[in-house]
Amino acid sequence: MENISQPVVKKDHEAKMAGRSVYVGDYENDGVLVGKMLRSKLARARLSDVNIPPLPNGYFYVDKSDVPGDNHVNIVMDDTPVYARETVEYIGEPIGMVVGPEEAVVDRILGEIQVSYEELEPVLDLGNADTVFFDYEYGKGNMEKAFAEADKIYEEEFTTGYQDQTYLETQGMMAEPEENGTMFIHGSLQCAYYVHGAVMRVLGCGPDQVHIKQDVTGGGFGGKEAFPSILGCQVAVAAKKAGAPVRCIFDRREDLEFTSKRHPSLCKYKVAVKNGKVTAMDIDVKFNSGAYTTLSAVVLQRGIICSNGIYNIENLHVRGRALKTNTTPNGAYRGFGAPQTFFAVEMMMDHIAMDLGIDSLEFKEKHIVKQGDSTSTSGKYHFPVPIPSMIEEIDQECDYRRKRREYAKPQTGRYRRGIGISMHFHGAGFTGSGERDIIKAVCKLHKYPDGTVEILASNGEIGQGLRTTFPKIVARELNLPLDKVYYDHPDTARVPDSGPTVASRSLMVVGELLRRCAIKLRTQWKDGEDQMVEERFKEPDFVIPFYLDKFQGDAYPTYAWGVNALEVEVDTYTGLTKILGAYGNFDVGTPIDYNIVMGQMEGGFLQGIGYASTEYMDYDQKGRIRNNSFSDYLIPTSADVTNLSCMLHVEKYPDGPYGAKGAGELPLVGVPAAYVEAVEQALGHGVKLNRAPFTAEDTMKVIMKEGL
Amino acid sequence: MVNGYRPASLQEALEIKKTTDAVPYAGGTDLMVENRKGVSYLFLNGLEELRHIREEGDYISIGSCVTFTEALESDLIHPLMKEAVAQIAAPAIRNTGTFGGNIGNGSAKADSVLILFVCGAKIRLASVHGQRTVNMEDFYLGRKKLDLKPEELIVEILLPKRGLDNYYYKKVGGRNALAISRVSFAGLLTVENGRIQQMAAAFGAVSDTVLRFRDLEDRLSGKTLDEASAIKEELLSAYGERLVLTRGRVSAEYRKAVCMNLLKDFLEEKGI
Amino acid sequence: MEAINFLLNGEETAYDGSAADRLLDVLRDSFRMTSVKCGCKEGECGACSVLMNGILVNSCCVAMGAAEGANIVTLEGFRKTERFAVLNKAFAATSAVQCGFCIPGMVMAAEALLSKIPNPKDSQIREGLSGNLCRCTGYNAIVNAIHIAAKEGNGLW
Repeated sequence: MENISQPVVKKDHEAKMAGRSVYVGDYENDGVLVGKMLRSKLARARLSDVNIPPLPNGYFYVDKSDVPGDNHVNIVMDDTPVYARETVEYIGEPIGMVVGPEEAVVDRILGEIQVSYEELEPVLDLGNADTVFFDYEYGKGNMEKAFAEADKIYEEEFTTGYQDQTYLETQGMMAEPEENGTMFIHGSLQCAYYVHGAVMRVLGCGPDQVHIKQDVTGGGFGGKEAFPSILGCQVAVAAKKAGAPVRCIFDRREDLEFTSKRHPSLCKYKVAVKNGKVTAMDIDVKFNSGAYTTLSAVVLQRGIICSNGIYNIENLHVRGRALKTNTTPNGAYRGFGAPQTFFAVEMMMDHIAMDLGIDSLEFKEKHIVKQGDSTSTSGKYHFPVPIPSMIEEIDQECDYRRKRREYAKPQTGRYRRGIGISMHFHGAGFTGSGERDIIKAVCKLHKYPDGTVEILASNGEIGQGLRTTFPKIVARELNLPLDKVYYDHPDTARVPDSGPTVASRSLMVVGELLRRCAIKLRTQWKDGEDQMVEERFKEPDFVIPFYLDKFQGDAYPTYAWGVNALEVEVDTYTGLTKILGAYGNFDVGTPIDYNIVMGQMEGGFLQGIGYASTEYMDYDQKGRIRNNSFSDYLIPTSADVTNLSCMLHVEKYPDGPYGAKGAGELPLVGVPAAYVEAVEQALGHGVKLNRAPFTAEDTMKVIMKEGL
Repeated sequence: MVNGYRPASLQEALEIKKTTDAVPYAGGTDLMVENRKGVSYLFLNGLEELRHIREEGDYISIGSCVTFTEALESDLIHPLMKEAVAQIAAPAIRNTGTFGGNIGNGSAKADSVLILFVCGAKIRLASVHGQRTVNMEDFYLGRKKLDLKPEELIVEILLPKRGLDNYYYKKVGGRNALAISRVSFAGLLTVENGRIQQMAAAFGAVSDTVLRFRDLEDRLSGKTLDEASAIKEELLSAYGERLVLTRGRVSAEYRKAVCMNLLKDFLEEKGI
Repeated sequence: MEAINFLLNGEETAYDGSAADRLLDVLRDSFRMTSVKCGCKEGECGACSVLMNGILVNSCCVAMGAAEGANIVTLEGFRKTERFAVLNKAFAATSAVQCGFCIPGMVMAAEALLSKIPNPKDSQIREGLSGNLCRCTGYNAIVNAIHIAAKEGNGLW
């Protein structure tokens, strides 16, 4: 094992293990006001009147009229309001906040507020939604010719549903007016500078008049990438009005219904096949944005870039739209658009293979990209594509090919087995030239006279181990023991903006930046002196510039690669599927800490299994999410997948620290296709499955329909 | 104690039940989720009189405040009941959840209640006026409606000792733990001298109450296994007509399909 | 009105609020036992697990009146024990702690499990933890840590 990969005791292990870590809900209650949201009961309406009862002393009602600056939360664009404007656009949209010392009284006041609405017709069906937030199109090759010359043309639709991040710690933020007039906001979040930028505009103040600190954060997975900007602005406005600290922590039902989730999708594929190979793909992707734009543009971009999968498709046309519905605005969740389209393309290839009478993997293998090939956006795969080796490794691990042949034979009896495989990639870092043009990451190292070194960056520890891996990198370059280097939770008053904790970029991009910064410090090191060294992002030379208007160029500098195999047993009497084995092979380059990276692989893999199987969530005809508790939104327990094993295949990335690549999102992306393909094989009889999650009820429907 | 009563004896508890509107609290795992405002609780979890597991003639008497974990650890509780109770929620819930609470919640999803139905168990109720014993099947009147008078407490469950050994049980939830039943089925077959004495089939979580159709079950009484096989299809068809199910977290069609599959599997497993 | 008396981490404690209040809220707000986390408030995630008379319970599902006379142990108390030290080392060895929010509940569940089954099989560990949700780890590292603790804690449980 590489030296750097040797696991160490994580730096935040002790405090968290002993229960001493202070999450935002753990701060003292004294003098802190409780804030609770007044929310819209309708999916779409004009707000006619909000009638507030007389408020006891020390209790406040806060709404748009209390916003000192702009009543919009900047999340890429500015359409998300802090508090509702003239209309409400989804059930649960915050109209105002009631704030005061006693929670019971706050609840009582909320119950007494009368809201009058002028009801409007909501748009709830993605299929006929007509407000297009974003519309992208790109392609290459000659589509007409390819379709004209095709032996056969395949058309199919695939749908994926919501997925909720279900971080164990719900959303929570606290705003505290400070003595010198600044506003201090802290809480459970991933991107301190995002919140900073948003709050500045909302309070109408300068960058030095507000600072944001990340508290110990109980999970994020993307769910705390943008949402905390909204909640942060809301508590800031409330704290400003009340002149006192305000803390708002969501309860679980609130979090499940009203915070950002994975975009449900509807993907249509039209594929031309000639001489047993795919010659063209015409893809139409629709993502359900919910009521406001938030991150939909970027999620959609990534989704459509991945829509032809790991396959070399010379004639490609992709159109993607993010559409408005009057539902909870959707946002970032591990994978960020890719899980939806990778599911679709893998199942499409699988179904074509079925029709051609070839084994699915055999068919897919004919199309796998190689180093040097052109990407979907006419960039290049600059580095080796280890997928073929990774497939062999998985085959060794779980006997995939033999089982696939075995389970292909007709099965009768109550229990039927299947095994599925899927391949995928994840492009680490911001799509396109975002790192270079938008983020422009800066990091610093502060060396103290006593020889300890503090890392100054804005990336947040959310469980993925940055408080350990960042110091590991810096300590190694400086040849220091690990306990001499540390990384605290970022406070915008103290740290530069090294970019958000998203897109699997922290270790690969900022970790490399820190490594270079440490080298710089090493060369400048003076014992006993106080020193500060800075490093700025520089795009690697080999990257082909990406132009968003044309969707051309290198969308990502490099890719992490994944192969998943899932073996299942379907009980045809109940529709329940037992997972016999879940196998993942992941290339994320050199692991900066073996245990930490494995923990990320296993955690992401299990989230993917949930997304594929039990995590059904939908809204009713009024636009209300009904799966609003842990008994209705089912994530895996320790008893659900007892045989989950991951392995690492290492292809070093020269521009990542010690060869590391972005890792966090990869393990979730490819899982649904492997699972659904396995269930499909178990059911046999030529059934073609095209949705995720594929639940017990879905399974039963197929069994009954096909008379299995 | 504000908003609560901790009686020192069952008699005291019954007095409080009569004279106040305190809500009986055994394990609390349903009540605390409900979290009614302004409620007062009558805490029964300390009463030794409600915590026994003992033999009583043809029955095993289980105090209403016996927890599921206690049942799992007792030699007197039949494997069928243990199998059902072992799949309730998760350890922490089983450690506090009780038989009395599971019944008192009035839900057709209650895992222990399904077993009580299929076994023909009885429930003993007590009030300041005395006691009465009711058949489990007669105790559920409808959705969340029990034959429980305002002054009464559930004090004991009487589980028959005999007739449980040849059983079939399946819980269908959404995942392997922390799962509320979407369909549950329990079946019993007693055969003596080559003839069926009694067939019992109960369906849980699929309607307002747990379902049993004694008239359909009786069609098998007195028959040999072969004779029963001969009318199996007709019997299944009759069940198919009687199982008019409600929609819950899953569709009525799904529930029906699963119920019929499990019923058929039960009959066939037992040789019919 | 008489207060509700109970033992909290070995100390005689009295609560003079409502018997209907949640043990979870009282532990966190009145007694500042903030290791006890709230993940769902409905007994479905285990983040609030504590030991009550040596038994694992979800403190969000226990009313204060039911805790009268009980022996309540939270991580604030348990972390002073030798058993905790063994679990601590084991969890560190497998890097089982990621975001940390499920951990206090997991630790109490591990203690409850090992107290009953000192040398548990994989399936018994998974069942013992089945009421404690974790979204970060996929559970493997936690299960492995408990195996290690069972082995290393020879005689402690």
